[in-house]
Order: sequence, then structure tokens, then C-alpha cells
Amino acid sequence: MSSSEVFKAQEDSLTRLRSRYGDDADILIADARYGFISGLTKDVLKKPAIQRRTISDRIDSVVLNRWLGIPLFLALLYGVFRFTFDVSPPFMDWIEEGFGWLSDQAAGIGGWGGSLLSDGILGGLGSVLVFVPVIFLMYIALSILEDSGYMARAAFVMDRLMHRVGLHGRSFVPLMLGFGCNVPAVMATRTIENPKDRLVTILINPMMSCGARLPVFALLAAAFFTRNEDIVVFSMYVIGIILAISLAWLFRKRLVKGESGHFVMELPPYRVPSITGVLVHMWERGRVFLVRAGTIIFAIVVVIWLLDYHGALEPIGKSFDVVFEPCGFGQWQAAVTLIFGILAKEVVVGTFGVLFAGAEAIEGGLGAIIGFELGWTPLVAFAFMVMTLVYVPCMAVIGVIKRETNSWKWTGFVIGYTLVLGWLLAMLIYQIGHAIQG
Amino acid sequence: MGKEIVVALAGNPNSGKTTVFNNLTGARQHVGNWPGVTVEKKEGVCYYQGQGIRVVDLPGVYSLTAYSLDEVVARNFVVDEKPDVVVDIVDATNLERNLYLTIQLLEMEARVVVALNMMDMARGRGYEINVRELSRLLGLPVVPMVATRNQGTQDLLRTVIEVADGRTAVPGPALHYGRELQEEIDRLEKVVSGSPLASTYPPKWLAIKLLENDDDVMRKFREVGGE
Repeated sequence: MSSSEVFKAQEDSLTRLRSRYGDDADILIADARYGFISGLTKDVLKKPAIQRRTISDRIDSVVLNRWLGIPLFLALLYGVFRFTFDVSPPFMDWIEEGFGWLSDQAAGIGGWGGSLLSDGILGGLGSVLVFVPVIFLMYIALSILEDSGYMARAAFVMDRLMHRVGLHGRSFVPLMLGFGCNVPAVMATRTIENPKDRLVTILINPMMSCGARLPVFALLAAAFFTRNEDIVVFSMYVIGIILAISLAWLFRKRLVKGESGHFVMELPPYRVPSITGVLVHMWERGRVFLVRAGTIIFAIVVVIWLLDYHGALEPIGKSFDVVFEPCGFGQWQAAVTLIFGILAKEVVVGTFGVLFAGAEAIEGGLGAIIGFELGWTPLVAFAFMVMTLVYVPCMAVIGVIKRETNSWKWTGFVIGYTLVLGWLLAMLIYQIGHAIQG
Repeated sequence: MGKEIVVALAGNPNSGKTTVFNNLTGARQHVGNWPGVTVEKKEGVCYYQGQGIRVVDLPGVYSLTAYSLDEVVARNFVVDEKPDVVVDIVDATNLERNLYLTIQLLEMEARVVVALNMMDMARGRGYEINVRELSRLLGLPVVPMVATRNQGTQDLLRTVIEVADGRTAVPGPALHYGRELQEEIDRLEKVVSGSPLASTYPPKWLAIKLLENDDDVMRKFREVGGE
């Protein structure tokens, strides 16, 4: 009998199984094996009645459920932002008041020094630092999910989905790390043994929205989507995940063909996260943000102020703001923020801060002033947020991608595709939204 | 005295495989690099009641898919070299995870002896394992061991010789894949039986691998091609 007949029969079997179960046969076979084993161990193995263990099993039967798994993951992710935006306002007010007071003191100083202090440092850096509570609270929420043992389950649940796009659940762990910062996330891809899986995971990693992009979302969502800001920011993260998965599928199909690795993941028992553990985790991630704010962001903001002081920002922005005309944010100020945002994404907020500086900018709400000065609608703000999410990863990520792929070609590819994709999505959102609104 | 028998040691990483290997082969072991692969495999010789036994230590793996090199090495040895017995070293403190490999060895229709290692640690954690029931459900001989204290080595050797001699009957796997999946496996098994590969490999295993879209097996089918 020829092998072509074998392949024909194989194809028929696979088609039947897929139409019947919607899953690939290898997953069904693995399920059958695990099912057999778990039934068998229940018969032969008696474990001492430690409650933690049985509770773990019971939670898993819900969390890892075929139908509930992904909705539950999304619900928990939404919970992260709900928590973040419910808890952060008093802390943000406190910081705003602090900067307001400092600005009042700086107002007395005249000349370029006063301008540097109030417009550059307090306006630029202050507008970024206001979001420290948002970032830290999100890190707390993510740390709780991680320390409790849930994140490992999330990877397990996503395995099913990732298999269809030609990646496996282990790729999801570095992607989840991207919620904190894409730099350690790209480095974490080293745990992926299969080089092709690893490359694709690196290429799609910038789609996972990081802590530095959060201030941009939080600023604009608060101003343009009052009361729904958590949903809007959550949507940015979901858009990022959807883009990452779609791109993985596309890259795996077109660019990086070949077999995908296998996934055996150990599920740690659930634990009640310790307060110190969560705080340490939060600090490890958040510290990076503070250090950046005190060093690189500080320096960039001073440079931007300098350019602004000498009237050089406007020509820079005007030289290519027309490119963003179809996206709805064709103003030179927006163009300038995007340019400097490549250095570090929180600089987008910092640049707005310098441009619209002054005590009233912080106290009156920088977001509201952006809407007023640039004539933005919620639609434009949303398109701009998507642009910020997708376009060109920051310098640090570009650097680490170069180092980990050891290829300028792939690094250039990431810069190129993110730029084009970001522009395209912003343009489509604006144009379609505009057409619907009439 | 019969001719030398070949025993392969399989098991997850950290299941105590190397310790069992050293217990079995003692000072006589030598380390050999196998041609064509970079993954190192160890080989040694031991004697039990005058019977020469060649012991091959396979790479420690969780699974026997064709995805990574160590898995391919382990699996090719089992299906191509057809050792007389495969000793599957199972960590008793981690039964569920370790048995996944056992199931896959059964699918390959290897003659498997389960060495249930780290019994002391399992007991220390308060686990009660019904060894007789485990053996009955798997359809395999199961030998409890504490390799770190060289306990159970003689039992293991005796069981290995019995299985190699065919004195211990090893019934087929009790694993059922669910009605629809089983039907497809049976159907493919029939088709595959007509292929030249069926003389080298168990048709049922080929059928399962085809359903898994296993690259290595797909390549084997492409290579034989034929009418």
C-alpha cells in the first residue's frame, strides 16, 4: 500500500475529528492520555488530606475548563485594570497636589531657569510621575495573579489557542511578562527551546502593552472616556493580545515556517500570595520605571524643553504631521510626541506635558487640555492610543531584540512592521469611526 | 546462559535515572557518544545470575514526541533498536507527570518494566501508593525502589530477566482513547498495516503518530513512498 493512501486516510481522520471536536487530534490524544492517568492515579494513589492540594484541584477544574478558561482569563485581566483605576485616584491627586504646590513655588522664578523648572521638569516629568500609582497598582495586581499560581494556568489555557497559531503555551509566559516591560520579556524567550518558536515570540512581543504605555492610555482614557477608562485601557491590552496571536499565526505561516515545540508545563499549587512577596514583586518591576523617570526620561524631557524653548519643536512636528492626517491626529504636537515616544513610550505623556506646561496643565487635567488645544474627539484619542500601543517599540526593546535575535534584519523587520501596522490600524479606526458617526 | 539482553532506561529528568544506572552497572560503566547525535547516552554492562545485560541510559525526557532532539534520540532507540526491555523510571512523588511517558512507551508496544523510584520520599510525604493496583491497571510489572539507597535493584533485575524471557506476560495497554478517537486509530491502523513500515513499527503506534501529525513518522512514510 502506498504512502499517499496513508496520507489520504490520515487527512480524512483529522478532518472528521476536527469537525467533531474543533480541536486537533494531538490535543485530543494528549487529553485522552491525561484522562487515563488522572483516573488511574485516583485509584492507586492516596495523598494525605492536605486541604491546599484538594482546593488547587477544585480551582483548576474551573480555571482550566475548556470553555471557561479564556473568558475567565479576560475577566481577571479586566479585574486588574478595574482594581488599578478604582484604587489609584486618591494617590494621583496627592501627587498632583504636590506638583501643583511645587509649580506655585517655581512660578516666582523668572527667565529660562524658571521655564525649565516649571515647564520642562514639573510639566514634563511631573505629567509622567503622576501615573506612578497607576503603574504600581497594576504591578501589584499582576503580582497577585502570578504569585497565586494563576499565571501558570493562564499559559496552560492559552496553550490550546496558541497551538492553532503554531506556537505553544510556553511562548505565552514571555508574552505575559511583556505586561510589565518588554525588555525582560524578550530575554525570557530564552526558555523556549525551539529556535523558531523563540524568534516568533520575540517578533510579536512588542504587541504586549507594557507599563510605560500605561500612562498614555490612562491619561487619554481619563480625559476622553470618563467612567469607562478601565474598559478602554483593558481594550488596549486585549487588542495587543489579539494582534500578538494573529501576527504569530501570520509569521508562522509566511516567515518562520517549520515545526513547533512541545509543551509540558508544571502547574504549581495555588497559594495565598504573601504581602511581602507581592510588594517585592511590585517593587522589582516598578523600580525600573522610577529609575527611568529619574534618568533617561528626565534627560529626554529636558532636551524636549530645550527644543521647545528655542521654538524648534514646531518645525520638527510640522515636517511630517501630514502623515498622521488620515489617522485624525495630524497636529504637529501629536507628531512630536510620537517621535520622542520612540525613545521611551512614557515620553509621549512627558512631551504633552512640556508642550502644554504650567500649573493649570496638571491641575486642570492634561488630557482635557489636549482635547481642547488639538480638538481631539474620543475617536481620535482612541486611534492615537492604538498607534501608541503598536508603533515602534522603545529604544530599550529595539536594543534587546537586536541582541537576542543577533540580527539587524529581524530588528529592522520589527521596527518596520510595527510602524506600518500602527499607522494602518489608527487610520482604519479613525476613518471607519468617522464614517459611522457620519 | 542466554545471549546478552539489552535494557533501555527511560524516565523523566530528575526521576533518579542516573542513580539507577549506576546501581545496575557499578564500576563497569563506560560513557559513549553515539554517532549522529550530540546528545550523550551512557551505556554499561551488568550480570544477573550469569545473564549479561547491556544497559543503555536514554536522555531524560517528559514526552516522546518528535519535537526536540533528546526526545527523538530516546524514542528512536526504543522503536528502532527494539531493546528487550525498557525500564521506565517513575518518580513516585510525581506519579501523574511521570506516567505520561509510561503511556507513550506502551503505545510503542515496548516491553516495559516500571521502576517506581523515590518510594521513601513518597512515604515521607504521606503518599500511599497501591503498587499492585498500579501494576494491574497499567498491565505492567511495577518494582518499588529507593535508588539512592540501592533498594530494589535486585528485584528490578529479576523482573527485567523475567520479562525478557517472556515469563511475565505483558498485556496490551488498557488505555482507551474515547470512542471517536479510538475508531479513527483503528481505521488508520488497518490502512497502515499494508505499508512496508508496518514490518518495522507497530501499526497502532504509527496510526497514533499520524493523528498527531508527527514529523518524524510523516517523513518515514514519505521516504518509503511506494505502491
